[in-house]
Amino acid sequence: MYKVVTGVVGNDIHVVANRLIDISLQARGFEVFNLGVNTYLEEFIDAVVETDADVLLISSLNGEAEGWCRELQFLMAEYELKDVTFVIGGNLSVGESKDEDLVKKYQSYGFDLVFHQIELNDGLDQLEEFLGKKS
Amino acid sequence: MSKLLVDIGSTYIKISSSNGVFQKFRDFNRAILDDLTSKFADEIQRYEKDEIHICSSANGGLSTLIIGLTNSFSLKYATNIAFNSGINIIDTILYHNIENSPVAGELLDVVIIVGGIDSIGGVFDEKLFSYLSKLNYSNIVYVGSKKDREYLSENIENLVILENIITEKLKVNEEPLKEYLTNLYQQDIVGKEDIKELYTLSSNQIYSTPYIVNQSLPYIDANFEVINPFIVIDIGGATTDIHYSRDLSRDNMVIDSEYDRLVFKKLGVYKSKDSLVYAAKNNEFVYELLNVLNVTENILEEESEQATKILMQLSIFLVLCKVSIHTSLYITLNMHLLKSIVLTGGITKVLSYDEVEVIVQFFYKKILNTTAIPTILLDSNYDIWTLGMKALGEKDVD
Repeated sequence: MYKVVTGVVGNDIHVVANRLIDISLQARGFEVFNLGVNTYLEEFIDAVVETDADVLLISSLNGEAEGWCRELQFLMAEYELKDVTFVIGGNLSVGESKDEDLVKKYQSYGFDLVFHQIELNDGLDQLEEFLGKKS
Repeated sequence: MSKLLVDIGSTYIKISSSNGVFQKFRDFNRAILDDLTSKFADEIQRYEKDEIHICSSANGGLSTLIIGLTNSFSLKYATNIAFNSGINIIDTILYHNIENSPVAGELLDVVIIVGGIDSIGGVFDEKLFSYLSKLNYSNIVYVGSKKDREYLSENIENLVILENIITEKLKVNEEPLKEYLTNLYQQDIVGKEDIKELYTLSSNQIYSTPYIVNQSLPYIDANFEVINPFIVIDIGGATTDIHYSRDLSRDNMVIDSEYDRLVFKKLGVYKSKDSLVYAAKNNEFVYELLNVLNVTENILEEESEQATKILMQLSIFLVLCKVSIHTSLYITLNMHLLKSIVLTGGITKVLSYDEVEVIVQFFYKKILNTTAIPTILLDSNYDIWTLGMKALGEKDVD
């Protein structure tokens, strides 16, 4: 069973989306550690370390994830988290942005999968496919 | 049933009987029992052993080093539990930096090792044993992942193993470690030969004074003109304790107790005077505060009544700083929410209301940028301590 740490990053309090992600992940057989809303990047990384999680799935609905996630590479390196899959999804920009630009930007931060404004289940299908290929 | 309540402090001995509350300076050339019986012989003779209740804060406070896996969970949880058990944190070490971490030179009362939920293993390795071999400690306790227990107990002598303080849902499980540390603190105080001798006077258990004050907290707002949330600051000769309503804490940890406490071991106006002066000189606001009090820093080196007053005023300021956003080393309380500050201990016999108010005003203005301050109450008749002792006495009877 894959272990997933999830939560809503930064000053974002979209709790309903957070609960839906939690329920959907559990329904697909993931073991979920839900840190809830208003979670800082350091807390996400620390939770991954404490639980030895396979996936970190960060969500953001208010579009401000960019500012909160820039230091992912630095934290990944500090804890040598080579085997963890990093995923971010939701509404990832304020205003209009091209999908491909956003994906590139978040991949440069260290995310393996970037889902901007797509259906939750489509995103989770892609996550499962990614994990299947990785193993 | 009438009771005689006795508090052995590092500076004062005080008693509360049906005749009132009395205190006298400790004579450090005499054993505590001898000192107590000679000073309060008449009062003590009036009571049977089971009517005498004693607590002590003399030389209280234990030091600890915490080694944990992450700042947000293992170190945060263990630090919080340790503070609330009357323990002073010497340092915290992030395990992945342990090879480059400084080695504490002093004797540590207890080392705490924590990290990982129960279902993960292989958290700790040789690096831990190598670091521990350089330390000098009296007790060592492991409160991390269940899977690493056997490996660690095989490699660390006298390792005490308790339940993991991190649950499978990453929440805090504070009781086992809190009980262990509280007992260590209690043993440290009552285990001192001087204190053990007091059992010749009393057949009741001897408690630590911060524990007694903590017992009184649920009753304070009903007995005094205090509005919740409040803090109680007990400034003594060797230590300063601060007790606070949990509503003030910024940590979103869900635990049972409504009130917590911190003990600052090296913040007292007599036995810990040197470390208090050192802490004061290293606070960037203290010189301005001394100016407000119309004295110069030379007062810190003097031995006079005024110098003692100034030290007491500084200790109020420093302890407020230590629990506010000014210092992130300790638990941060939301001082903007604070409605009342209650001062108890020897300080209330020395400082007037105005002398306390000027410090609180300075703190709120400088650190929190506001002129609005909480109400201040001086417990100058030790009513809080009496309340705590009585509350405990009633619990014992139950």
